[in-house]
Amino acid sequence: MSAVLGPERPQVVSHIQQALSYTVFDCKWVPRSARLLCLGSAARGTGVLQLYELHGARLELLREIKKPKPIKCGTFGATSLQQRYLATGDFDGNLNIWNLEAPEIPVYSVKGHKEIINSIDGVGGLGIGEGAPEIVTGSRDGTVKVWDPRQNDTPVANMESAQGDSKRDCWTVAFGNAYNQEERVVCAGYDNGDIKLFDLKTMSVRWETNIKNGVCSVEFDRKDINMNKLVATSLEGKFHVFDMKTQHPTKGFASVSEKAQKSTIWQVRHLPQNRDIFMTSGGSGSLHLWKYEYPAQRSKKDSEGIEMGVAGSLSLLQNVTLSTQPISSLDWSPDKKGLCVCGAFDQTVRVLIVTKLNKI
Amino acid sequence: MPVWLREHSWRQTLSAVYLSLPLRGARATPANIFCSEQYLKVSIPPFLFEAVLYAPIDDTNSTAKIGNGNIFFTLYKKEPAMWDSLTLANADKEKLQNLRENAVLKAQEKAKEETEAKKIAKQEHKKYALEATMKVEEAERKRIEDLKENERQKVAKELELWKNQQKDGDKYKSIQKKEELHQEIEPLKERKNEKMNKTQIPNEGTSKTRLKSTRGHGSSSIFSQNLKEEQLPAPRAAATIKVNFTPRVFPTALRESRVAEEEEWLHKQAEARRIINSDLSELEDLKEEEKNPDWLKDKGNKMFAMGDYLGAVNAYNLAVRLNNKLPLLYLNRAACHLKLRNLHKAIEDSSKALELLTPPVPDNEKARVKAHVRRGTAFCQLELYTEGLQDYEAALKIDPRNENIEKDAEKIRHLIQGTMQSS
Repeated sequence: MSAVLGPERPQVVSHIQQALSYTVFDCKWVPRSARLLCLGSAARGTGVLQLYELHGARLELLREIKKPKPIKCGTFGATSLQQRYLATGDFDGNLNIWNLEAPEIPVYSVKGHKEIINSIDGVGGLGIGEGAPEIVTGSRDGTVKVWDPRQNDTPVANMESAQGDSKRDCWTVAFGNAYNQEERVVCAGYDNGDIKLFDLKTMSVRWETNIKNGVCSVEFDRKDINMNKLVATSLEGKFHVFDMKTQHPTKGFASVSEKAQKSTIWQVRHLPQNRDIFMTSGGSGSLHLWKYEYPAQRSKKDSEGIEMGVAGSLSLLQNVTLSTQPISSLDWSPDKKGLCVCGAFDQTVRVLIVTKLNKI
Repeated sequence: MPVWLREHSWRQTLSAVYLSLPLRGARATPANIFCSEQYLKVSIPPFLFEAVLYAPIDDTNSTAKIGNGNIFFTLYKKEPAMWDSLTLANADKEKLQNLRENAVLKAQEKAKEETEAKKIAKQEHKKYALEATMKVEEAERKRIEDLKENERQKVAKELELWKNQQKDGDKYKSIQKKEELHQEIEPLKERKNEKMNKTQIPNEGTSKTRLKSTRGHGSSSIFSQNLKEEQLPAPRAAATIKVNFTPRVFPTALRESRVAEEEEWLHKQAEARRIINSDLSELEDLKEEEKNPDWLKDKGNKMFAMGDYLGAVNAYNLAVRLNNKLPLLYLNRAACHLKLRNLHKAIEDSSKALELLTPPVPDNEKARVKAHVRRGTAFCQLELYTEGLQDYEAALKIDPRNENIEKDAEKIRHLIQGTMQSS
């Protein structure tokens, strides 16, 4: 592990802490603005959406929207920059897309799943990448469904169990490989440690593996390029970085894994401005900032002459403990490098600034 | 008796006495010399020299030099005066003794005082050292804090700046949007051309005040959005991908650290199913497979399906003798007894099955429903309708969606009401 020492290391500065009166499950920056959104569940079991704006050393509440069901996750990934509609998944399995200017009636709504939607991701919007805008949701009912906002009621892809009864909770989903209009993959992580990569062009399972611990979060380093790296975090403090450039027919993708701490790693998020830097948030309320270094050769031939990938190495740039409760959600601002927001189960949302990222 | 050393020689000045004491071959160390204000003793067994001095001396400053086979004392007088002799001439025994004792006591006190003083001095030094380190650490900490504060403030300022730029950017975007709306009336192509012209001019003005990252992006994306909408591919053809999961018995998430415990539990469960009550002498007559309760259960099931209820009961009986902890055996035997109209036995078996099916988990739901239904049927056939209804209702509670159970429960209710009215 190479070391960036002393005062040159990136510092994580806690800029604003805001106490909330509800449990926050997800927090997201509104693209192209200094506003952020907090989604969660009030004590009464109703859903809450709050829109804040950065105002000096504090957050100013611009808007509060109440919904009948608690909201678990949200994304701006599939809307255009003009519209900036928010897609949310709630505890009842409903997928809704909201126009935040007029949030009483959703722009799109479907009861997508029988149980809580654990995770949501969007691709094709925000001027990033090409192809149709799509939203993928992963739920406790064991299915992963891909939706197109132009098609009502039925998903455009449905990944469900082949064996009828048996199902495992899907905890996380992510889009990737969306570098042209046809190609797209969805990566899903389940509670029994399975990670599956679904290719939407061929509608098949492209790769699957099991990392021996329930998978809490998966993310590609960039959604809109040829698959480069995938980070999967799990229970028991471990996370794996897979090199997705070269797929070996039997061994799959090369990976390097790291055990950062004893508790669950809830989220991983890559820095939008530098795809080799990512932050992991832990169950002990800590944040770790990592840098991935590529190996000298990214692929080599194995004993039979088939190409296989070579995993690189990880170095810890900084770590900081902000809370005693797990930090369950994390989001980097796509507009300001180093600005991020995190929400923890101690009912606070914190705006952080990570300095010196230019020097990495 | 010690050997007295008497060959000492001395001389004096006004303020000091110089005493030279030859040692007859003995070696002296500082421990052998004892001196107090008016008493001097050198004791090197078996030699002894003592002197009750003529006048008091300053024993702290006086010195003794040991070397060359003799000891050279330099004693500083307390009062500068010439002594008549080194020792007090008319010293009687008692006085000598007193003097000696006093001298010893005094010496001891002195020693004590010295140690006390040393201790205090040590503590003082420690305290001082501690305070000094604390100060140094404080200074270090403060320096780091200051660095962090500076960073924080710098970063906060940058953020404000960025935020204001965002706000401006938004304002301009909304202005451009309004312009767009005005032109909705004209046909599509013309609209596009006009937009291109109109929005380029204000764009040049705004690009300077916006952040680099958003320069020109806003307006270009406004109409590129329209173009994009026409170029977006149609929604995907719906398809389903079938997924196979890595098998896992427990409904909880997989944790590496618990795998060992879980394996152990599963193992135990498997073991429990294979226990054989081995004190049955008839076991030797049976074939290997007939000793397996599962195999016997399957046999019983097959015979039940074919209608051979007595045979099924026999099979289940043997299985129960081998392993009386399997609830399914009792459950199935209850069904057989129902068919054979051995109603009391059916009730017994269903009850036993229910007992074994604790704790009530989703896993054994179906089995419990069956047990309740069978027991309920038996009760009803015995005309104990209230008990029967209780069982049916219990079954409904576990599985509220089963219509057959509902219908039967209704029937029983009617029957009860019928009998109550008539009686």
